[in-house]
Amino acid sequence: MKRILNLMPLVVFGILVVVLYSFLTQENEQLESVLVDQSVPEFKLPALENPNNILSKSSVNKLPALINVWATWCIACRVEHPFLMQLKNKSTLTVYGLNYKDDRKKALDLLENEGNPFEFSIFDQQGKLAIDLGVYGAPETFFVDKEGIIRERHVGALTQKVWKEKFEKFLNEDNDV
Amino acid sequence: MFKKFFSLMLITIIYSLVSANEPKVIYPFEDSVHEERFLSLLNELRCPKCQGSNLAGSNAPIANDLKREVYKLVKSGKTEEEVKTYLIDRYGNFIVYDPPFRPDTYALWLGPFFIFLITLFIILVILLTRFSNSKGNQ
Repeated sequence: MKRILNLMPLVVFGILVVVLYSFLTQENEQLESVLVDQSVPEFKLPALENPNNILSKSSVNKLPALINVWATWCIACRVEHPFLMQLKNKSTLTVYGLNYKDDRKKALDLLENEGNPFEFSIFDQQGKLAIDLGVYGAPETFFVDKEGIIRERHVGALTQKVWKEKFEKFLNEDNDV
Repeated sequence: MFKKFFSLMLITIIYSLVSANEPKVIYPFEDSVHEERFLSLLNELRCPKCQGSNLAGSNAPIANDLKREVYKLVKSGKTEEEVKTYLIDRYGNFIVYDPPFRPDTYALWLGPFFIFLITLFIILVILLTRFSNSKGNQ
């Protein structure tokens, strides 16, 4: 009995090490997404392509759609750009851009040189709509279903793999209905 | 040696006071109640990008955007609770350092209590064995 008791501190220490280590390796970068299952927030912001064209929630009307938060200063956005160009060819899906805290000229140059996957881009220099969407970095991608409800959100580059795992099912579901 | 240490400490304290007052320069308030509310909110709200620090301690672009947003809300007369609700609606409970009580956070909320119970148990057992040992020796 006494021997077991003497070993107790070691046992407790061992359990603590295992538990804390498992927390350490846990992926914790992705925050919970409050906006999933909610409607796209209202906004009033200019278009990237034309500052006089004031866009609002009702401009995002070709649904289902992706809203992709991007910027020229964002490296991972370059990574996902070719895949967004691929998605552009899907007739069942529209891709909208949210140009986030960016320089208008630089952004337009990039779209001209690399191709423009977006139906249009919302120019959000102050990060106003981004705050309403709970964005904390670029790139981020939201899936908006036929009813205008946000169904899924992804933080980080949108790759083929992510698309298959997180987004594709919503597109199929929308087509079934 | 002691003098050197003391002066170093004094410098550290003074510097930390200066940096704590920094937001005052950028965010002017007419109402000191509002100002206090603003500063205390910046200390309580977490920066979503740099997860280890609060808004006051972060200079990330998103932190600055959120500071500006909090500034606007406080200036328009919103209470501390209203500002927090506004941000929780967008960024989740994460932002107020207040994890919800649900299955994946049970360990977080109940863990310390269990550790306390285990410790209490161990101490009791140790005390009891000691007590009975000393009695047996007599």
